[in-house]
Amino acid sequence: MSHVFAICGRELRSMFTTPDAYVLIGVYMFFAGFVFFFSLGSFILAIQQIQALGATQYLEEWNLQDKVVADSLSTFSILLGIVVPLLAMRGFAAERATGSIELLLTSPITSAEIVIGKFLAIAILLAVVTALTSLFVALLFLYGNPEVWQTLSGLQILFLYALAIAAISSFVSSLTRSQIVAGILGIVISILLLFLPVAGYFSQSETLRNLLIWLGPNTHLEPALRGDVRSEDLAYFAIVVVAFLSLARAAVDSLRWS
Amino acid sequence: MIQARALTKRYGGLTAIQNVSFEIAKGEVVGFLGPNAAGKTTTMRILTGYIPASSGSVSVGGFDVALDPRSAKRVTGYLPETPPLYPEMLVHEYLHYAATLHDVPRGERRDKVARAIASCGLEAVSERVIRTLSKGYRQRVGLAQAIVHDPAVLILDEPTAGLDPIQIDEIRKLITRLADEQGRTVILSTHIMGEVQAICKRVLLIAFGKLRLDAALDALQAQGSLEQMFLSEVEKAKREELGGAAEGSA
Repeated sequence: MSHVFAICGRELRSMFTTPDAYVLIGVYMFFAGFVFFFSLGSFILAIQQIQALGATQYLEEWNLQDKVVADSLSTFSILLGIVVPLLAMRGFAAERATGSIELLLTSPITSAEIVIGKFLAIAILLAVVTALTSLFVALLFLYGNPEVWQTLSGLQILFLYALAIAAISSFVSSLTRSQIVAGILGIVISILLLFLPVAGYFSQSETLRNLLIWLGPNTHLEPALRGDVRSEDLAYFAIVVVAFLSLARAAVDSLRWS
Repeated sequence: MIQARALTKRYGGLTAIQNVSFEIAKGEVVGFLGPNAAGKTTTMRILTGYIPASSGSVSVGGFDVALDPRSAKRVTGYLPETPPLYPEMLVHEYLHYAATLHDVPRGERRDKVARAIASCGLEAVSERVIRTLSKGYRQRVGLAQAIVHDPAVLILDEPTAGLDPIQIDEIRKLITRLADEQGRTVILSTHIMGEVQAICKRVLLIAFGKLRLDAALDALQAQGSLEQMFLSEVEKAKREELGGAAEGSA
């Protein structure tokens, strides 16, 4: 275990002593803030119009929880799909480019320890990102009364989604020496994943349609954002993380054979 | 201390080294000499467990590198051709990290890091960020990383490549001291004859992936100029290699 913590600690220190992570998180927060206040603004406008028209039957549908909290978190997931691969792209690619991977591979440690140590560091960073994200919705608690549990479960599923993308990006990063390639590939994959269910709707075969819809991460994200936490969705993200970390481990092992 | 038996490494169709065998006793300082692309780095990478051999076996400190890599790696210190540094780390932080990875117990880490810093003359820069160090100092940090866990075997891949004459002299003296310090077994690769003469007691000459010569330096020097011998051996290897290739294609 001490190896895992040593690797994780080194990763974290390097993330927080170089500007990359700060810049990326800053950019994410800027756009997330923009999304959040835009959706809050349109919500307020909509409520005013409903009241002016006296169409009170729509007020039920236009609630703060669905229209601001859930919608914003849903959009944040798209932002994370771009930011997380950029945070994770250094992972192995940078070590291969600078040659420091030779220290890891000639130390008495296993490939699994390397992969888990690095992933743990990213997970901690993403926990920080999720905590920062929660500041937006926390603002709503000052002025309104969103539902606490639904909001928390939304943040939790957002965090799990980010972890899944991070696991995929770690694997991608272990395949190349180029951080840029790793970053771009990671983003492309996370966007393609978003379109899987869309592709599913066009599919003729029912089995394929269901499979594609099930494979899309947003299929498993949306219910929890609306307050419906299903164990099936939690399992989905756990499977993605474990599967891609195993692939990353195999890729690190194969570095020894190349 | 080190036993290599019939090592062969193939990369696809390319044979990097072929049937290389040697034995190195405890406390020996051996120069691994050969022209560039002769197979020196490949051999060293196999010795350190960085890559596996296609066939043959290696044991270091009594541990088979393929079967018990963790034990073998614990007794090996390795400085690759490019020091495996993290530019954003402080020197002492980095050494602490290397010590942890090499299973130095928590209570001893601070002492061992301090010792490695002292041995490699890094006291003045131990609080500096590695990125800001000169090439000579980076090489020293690389060496410190290789000795921080007190390995019985030290494997150094071209430790003086790219340094200026003063730095080369310093690093050579440092290696000699590190070898003497604890009766360490040292293998260092180089393509510079003078380096072998300055540091080593025994020389292994490798060319075109094959071991051409294994002899004590004193005995070789008695026979005449080393430089001459090196060139003629490589020349001979080249002729055989080309001749063999010609026969193969005929």
